[in-house]
Amino acid sequence: MIRKLATLVFACAAFTSVSATADQLDTVIQRGTLNCGVVLDFPPMGYFDENNEPAGFDVDYCNDLGEALGVDVNVLNLTWGDRIPSLISGKTDVVIGSTSDTLERAKTVGFTYPYFVFKFQVISHEDKSIKSFADLKDLKVGAALGTTYETEYLAYADKMGWGRDNYTSFKSENDAFLGLYQGKVDAIISTNTNIATKLRSEEFEDFVAGPYVPNYDDVVGIIAKRDEVAWINYLNLFLIHQIRDGNMNKAYNKHFGVDAPAELIQSLRDNK
Amino acid sequence: MNSLFTPLSWSDSGLILTGVWNTIIISVVAIVVGTVLGLIVGFLRAESNKAVNVLFGSVLDVLRSVPLIIQLILFSTFVGAMGNPLAPFVAGSIVLSLYTMAFMSEVFRSGFESVSPSMQIAARSLGMTKWQTIYHIRLPIGLRAVFPSWLGVSLSVIKDSALVSVIGYMELLRTSEQLISRTQQPLEILIGVGIFYFIISYPLSHYGRYVERKMAI
Amino acid sequence: MDYEFHWNVVFQNMPQLLNGAFVTLHVSVLAMLLGVVIAILLAIAKMNNTKFFSQVATVWVEIARNTPALFQIYMAYFGLGAFGIHLSPYVAVLSALVFINAGYLTETFRGGFQSIPSTQYSASKSLGMTSIQSYRYIILPQMLRRIYHPMTNQFVWSILMSSLGILVGMSELSGTTQRLQSLSFRTLEFFIVAAVMYFVITKLVLFGSSLLARRLFKGEI
Repeated sequence: MIRKLATLVFACAAFTSVSATADQLDTVIQRGTLNCGVVLDFPPMGYFDENNEPAGFDVDYCNDLGEALGVDVNVLNLTWGDRIPSLISGKTDVVIGSTSDTLERAKTVGFTYPYFVFKFQVISHEDKSIKSFADLKDLKVGAALGTTYETEYLAYADKMGWGRDNYTSFKSENDAFLGLYQGKVDAIISTNTNIATKLRSEEFEDFVAGPYVPNYDDVVGIIAKRDEVAWINYLNLFLIHQIRDGNMNKAYNKHFGVDAPAELIQSLRDNK
Repeated sequence: MNSLFTPLSWSDSGLILTGVWNTIIISVVAIVVGTVLGLIVGFLRAESNKAVNVLFGSVLDVLRSVPLIIQLILFSTFVGAMGNPLAPFVAGSIVLSLYTMAFMSEVFRSGFESVSPSMQIAARSLGMTKWQTIYHIRLPIGLRAVFPSWLGVSLSVIKDSALVSVIGYMELLRTSEQLISRTQQPLEILIGVGIFYFIISYPLSHYGRYVERKMAI
Repeated sequence: MDYEFHWNVVFQNMPQLLNGAFVTLHVSVLAMLLGVVIAILLAIAKMNNTKFFSQVATVWVEIARNTPALFQIYMAYFGLGAFGIHLSPYVAVLSALVFINAGYLTETFRGGFQSIPSTQYSASKSLGMTSIQSYRYIILPQMLRRIYHPMTNQFVWSILMSSLGILVGMSELSGTTQRLQSLSFRTLEFFIVAAVMYFVITKLVLFGSSLLARRLFKGEI
């Protein structure tokens, strides 16, 4: 009964707030829950631990954000393709999902300042000697569908006139690594962070990290609805605090085993 | 640091059971709602004039001519963009129920139309009202005739419910995918999933064919 | 509704979408042709007196009919991959569709064949027809008429189910749509156009099928 009453009171409160000009920030605080989308097949940024619970750098950021807001955190598992639909449909308030901040995408969603910078890298079986990106010419290469590194690889392949017959898309990051593990493809493109994490596991002991995608830094931001400017403002300040208060380094250390490189911190401070 | 890959263990059975339960529950919802709506629409289509039929027909046509996976993504994104985000279970249930309705209504329509007009006239001449005729003659005879087809549609709904995973519903196939990512053991897990569907579907489809044979005689 | 539609980006990418639609049509037609051939063999095997053949056919049919298409596709892709058999996304989707089409059509064909009383064969023989003639002019035309509708439905089903290619990274209509929407994040626009394209494709197939039926059966269907 008390629960029902409480729900009623909450419902009334929610109703009055909706009628005013409540923005996303108000909504989240009044709801008391942050719906935070993370791509959970992208270790060490997001993955499931051995208890099938969400874990990773991005998940820590969700929890830090929840703490800053003083609300509970509900982590939602997204694929790369789910990120925008989940925002537009209001299932998530924010997506901390390593989203590359392209100008094309910024026409649709709102980006914060960068919160991480990746390099795109090749990983292959140790039998394949891949010294430079050009060595991929006659190899079967894969990547996750709709990622920036897929676009970068395909642009490079097109430029070199390799054609696309040797290229395989995978639905998700995990499928791409499973494909590499099974031998469906000779090499895949992923981020340096994901590759480094995978290489530390027993399953990938016969695999080696290869060259980086030439001349490309993948700068990623947190995304939210484009018109929620005040909310994005808050998120920007949150990111500044993550670095200032040492949370960024803490999360980095927890998931990468070392302190965050000074270079990375500096480039985030410079918002590059 | 947590380890990335760990083999399948007994502690995963909770997750698998959740997946199994979610598959069952969304299938039951879609079959029940789809059957009720299909019955109504099928009856209206069998009864009504051409104009109404064309209108109904074209809507149902769209539901049957666009892949379920696209309907799921579109509906889930669209209602959200309209400002009414729905949980994956709710959005999935709505789309799957309407999709089921589209097929069920055809099944029921053919059932109602299979009851010959002369039988209805006979019933009326015995003094039955229009509704009595519908209730005592058309419904029971029409429904019995379509039972095998109804079962067939229901079975395909159970199988199609796997697609609701694309909008984030944690049904059996999606939970198994999560486990595959962590264990890198696709074969064992996939075979387990296949056996589950088979155990549900095989006896029912056999029963359907048995009834069909019995009715044919 | 706080969503503004941007259609420009969809039109700019129309060639890729059309290419995806072509791949969809391509894989479904091929899956149908191969499915029909295998289904004929399986139907013969099922009616065969040798137990081994009829059992193989039965197992095939039951697995195909009682497990989800999505499962078949994963199995063809990652399941076979565990044995070191690596199919491309296209071949994995194609083989899953062929497997299922064959499973369903076997029952259709068997039903169609058994629906024609054997007395008709004897009768045509007694009219002086050879075996080939009685099949060609008496049995097959009637059979074709009975199985034509189920076959058309199966074909439409193949087209719709090929959309599962999106889940193994195949570049058919759905996969292409998924890729394009993730570059621009214009989910609704791209998927609406994809839905329209699927609708048009299935309608064209149904229209073509009814035209063909009119020619084949001279309006008696």
